[in-house]
Amino acid sequence: MDIQSMQELIEACEQEQTTIGEMMLMMEAEKSGRDKETIISMMEERLIKMKEAIDSGKEDASAAPSGISGGDAVKMSDYERSGKPLTGNYISQAMTFSLATSESNARMGVIVATPTAGAAGILPGVLFSLHKNDGTPYKELVMGLFTASMLGYVIANRSFISGAAGGCQAEVGSATAMAAGTIVELKGGTPKQVVHATAIAMKSLLGLVCDPVAGLVEVPCIKRNVIGTSIAFAAADLALAGVESRIPCDEVIEAMYKIGKEMPRTLRETALGGLAMTETGKKVKEELFCRKI
Amino acid sequence: MEFQSCFDIIGPIMVGPSSSHTAGVVSIGRFIYELLDGCPEEANIIFYDSFAETYQGHGTDKALLGGLLGMDTDDSRIKHSIELASEQGLHYTFELEDHCSYFEHPNTTIVTARHGDQVVKVGGASLGGGLSKVFMIDGEMADIRLSTSDDFSVIAKNYHEQKMSKVLVGEL
Repeated sequence: MDIQSMQELIEACEQEQTTIGEMMLMMEAEKSGRDKETIISMMEERLIKMKEAIDSGKEDASAAPSGISGGDAVKMSDYERSGKPLTGNYISQAMTFSLATSESNARMGVIVATPTAGAAGILPGVLFSLHKNDGTPYKELVMGLFTASMLGYVIANRSFISGAAGGCQAEVGSATAMAAGTIVELKGGTPKQVVHATAIAMKSLLGLVCDPVAGLVEVPCIKRNVIGTSIAFAAADLALAGVESRIPCDEVIEAMYKIGKEMPRTLRETALGGLAMTETGKKVKEELFCRKI
Repeated sequence: MEFQSCFDIIGPIMVGPSSSHTAGVVSIGRFIYELLDGCPEEANIIFYDSFAETYQGHGTDKALLGGLLGMDTDDSRIKHSIELASEQGLHYTFELEDHCSYFEHPNTTIVTARHGDQVVKVGGASLGGGLSKVFMIDGEMADIRLSTSDDFSVIAKNYHEQKMSKVLVGEL
């Protein structure tokens, strides 16, 4: 068994009367020869590392070695606890957790790539927000990681997931799409609804370029992770309401691939365009590396 | 179908900041460490394209040296690997180039490394999400997938065995 498209995934789940997460678990067991218990405990280890990154990042107000990021998770956490956030508990807490993870990443702390390190804040952000707000047990969050990996697996094999190959749409875009679908599955949506949420989230981020200031995974990457969590929740709500993506998910992924192929090299993680080449972006690079551009 | 497992997507567990420019590069270095069966004394490292432009910000240099020193992607010593390399007697040089003519990918490196009297030249590409591929060894094209859930010492051993069996054919 190998799933190569979202359409195939929906059909396989409907035929087997199973969820996308369970389908990934079955496929992994078949392909790797490992038993399900071992695979689940490997995934649990990843969830634990995600929680540890959030726990340490949430308390840590120190700056990254570059000096251009750090401290925002603490600010957001204080603000969110004040009860004022306009975005509500689900999104504002996901934003805090996402900031904590991405700031840890910038400090060269230990994180879990989901699917990449540059986009590592989004999935843990939404998962632990679900846990905090509606008590989704950790065991279910682990199954959510299987849902997310199935969606990412299809995206990665049909398109790309690295900023150097396809721009930020391939990183934050893919991670947000995976997170949106995962929320839907954890909230009891059908595989079809999961895939619609995935498509809707990805469509919202098509064309996003990868333009990291000084080549660091900090500006604008960290805040794009944070905003990614809100897009994931919005796309999930749409799908759970029964709203469908007019363009099928497989075609959205194909569009992402084609857009990435047409994206100039300057906007694919070379730090030679976009925000990296703004006046401030250039100044940061010069100061950091004492090198004229 | 380069991505084969759920752990290629959720994972690796790694030190930041980049799965392609940090973790995937640790794996390439670590594979060379296994291929040489130890840490090299000398290494020449060429970074191409996106690696050449952004290696400082992503710690790509530290990641590669960390791998050559035998570290895994989640080893918190990676950020100190430049100092550790000099402590452990690993002499290295870095070169930066625009484009790699052997393999079409923006994240590529070619490493020539010596351990004792053994020298290897390895071309590696980091495909994204921490997954890497060795596309060339000692001038011959290769296709070896490096996922952090694999045991690189087994992959290196298999490579050596295959090479031996290629040489040891036919009558003398």
